[in-house]
Amino acid sequence: MSYPPAPRAVLDRIDLQIEEGEFVCVLGQTGCGKSTLLRLLLGSEHPVEGRVLIDGKVHQQPDCTRGYVPQKYSLFPDKTVLDNITFGPEVSQFRLWRRWTPAFRRRRRELRKQASEYLRRIGLSPADGAKYPDQLSGGMQQRVAIAQALMTEPRILLMDEAFSALDPGTRKEMQRLIRSLWRTTGTTVLFVTHNTHEAVRLATRIVVLARESSDRGSRIMMDLRVPDPCSEDQTLELVGRLEALSEVAPVPQAVPAS
Amino acid sequence: MSAGFLLIHAKPNRTWALLLSWMLFAAGIALYFYISHQRHRDNPEDRVMPTIAQMARGMYDAALQPAEDDDAQTRGGSLIDRFLGSMLWKDTRATSRRFLFSMLLLVPAVLLGMHMGLFPYVGVFWLRFILFFDKIVALSLLPILFIAFGIDELSKIMLIVIGVAPTIILDTFNLTRGVPREQVVKAFTLGAGDFDVAYRVVLKQIMPRVLNSIRLNLKAVMLFLFAGEMIASTDGLAYRIALLRRHMGMDVIVPYVLWVACLLFVVDWSMRLINRKLHPWFIES
Repeated sequence: MSYPPAPRAVLDRIDLQIEEGEFVCVLGQTGCGKSTLLRLLLGSEHPVEGRVLIDGKVHQQPDCTRGYVPQKYSLFPDKTVLDNITFGPEVSQFRLWRRWTPAFRRRRRELRKQASEYLRRIGLSPADGAKYPDQLSGGMQQRVAIAQALMTEPRILLMDEAFSALDPGTRKEMQRLIRSLWRTTGTTVLFVTHNTHEAVRLATRIVVLARESSDRGSRIMMDLRVPDPCSEDQTLELVGRLEALSEVAPVPQAVPAS
Repeated sequence: MSAGFLLIHAKPNRTWALLLSWMLFAAGIALYFYISHQRHRDNPEDRVMPTIAQMARGMYDAALQPAEDDDAQTRGGSLIDRFLGSMLWKDTRATSRRFLFSMLLLVPAVLLGMHMGLFPYVGVFWLRFILFFDKIVALSLLPILFIAFGIDELSKIMLIVIGVAPTIILDTFNLTRGVPREQVVKAFTLGAGDFDVAYRVVLKQIMPRVLNSIRLNLKAVMLFLFAGEMIASTDGLAYRIALLRRHMGMDVIVPYVLWVACLLFVVDWSMRLINRKLHPWFIES
């Protein structure tokens, strides 16, 4: 995969198979192409060579088989929290003109009840449901974004450095939340991050992307399973190994739109 | 006031802020009446700078007397009837009708700009053409419009549309492209189709900024409206002002100008109010 102005590839010879129900963390330094990999899975970018298959089928654009939680701008600012969460089912089941049927109103009530249930699960109060996104803190916004994405029950949830903009305390809460949601819903998750501790804490499988040399694309340098449950010692050892790997890899050149 | 009151760090208190902000108005009005008084002392028949009494008289005539004799009421009706049959109301109604028509025609302009920003083929097709039209001085097209469409309503409305629509289209186009790509992708992952994304995600988000953009372009709309009216019209506020210029009827012109300013202020304020009420979530940065 490469971006047009640079002949040098961003990603090279990536061969990745993800099983249903896995929690995969993609680790790597800034500019190594982890966000590009996520966008390839999402469908907003297309590989120059190769294919991305979901359940054995190629999907040309982002659609409801893949959920998405970006780092910022994850919520629609013109809708309340509750409307944001019910947006997915509402818009996929009722196209433009069908919103004016009585069936919509009935379904909307059911969806709102479901959404309030989700609100409770992610730790927000019903009063928060009527707020607009800009009235919430960063952590709360990301919680709502996760609930919004999970509401449509996607095959795989793609999270692009979703917690990188949060402070360490909120990050820990969010990590606990996503782990518990993953256990209860059983969704496959692909989580991109540059924080090794986060990766070891969250993932069942860690994939490390790095360049061998600065004129080649990133490859998968390491693909290991994290033991579950992971003891303190094992965690530290893993973090050490992963960080040693990042130090060995050369510093990549500036790449557009990481 | 401390010694540094003219500098950047100054903090005017509320009383001073209030006083200072009205000072220029007071000075202007005082100067006007002083000069008017001088002129009337030298020449009681002076028409260039009317006194308050003359302006009040002029306004009374405009607001309660009909424009032409054939519009005259058969009997003196109530105040409301007389106002409704008056010159001022007739002109205001004519101008407002043209204004509202042009505003309505801006709605397709907004939709076009939005589609241009979202759908790449639509954008590529229209952009160069709109950019070209944006550069044309609309007033220079006025004679062409009159020849092509005649000198009644259509040409005046076309003038306004040709003058203001390119700006609105381009503004909306840029606002659409300013919506973060993550939002569009997110909407697709939630199951939205292309038109859902266009109308339920993007249009809703950019609406307060679009309304603001239209509000800021009101000046241009009024400019083209008045230009059209002054040149080829038989009624309307600008027509009346142009007509009275020939009779040196400053005692009616000045109140008319003030009335136009007042109307525009009301329109601007009501657009701001509507924007706030419709979009309580929008914070103007």
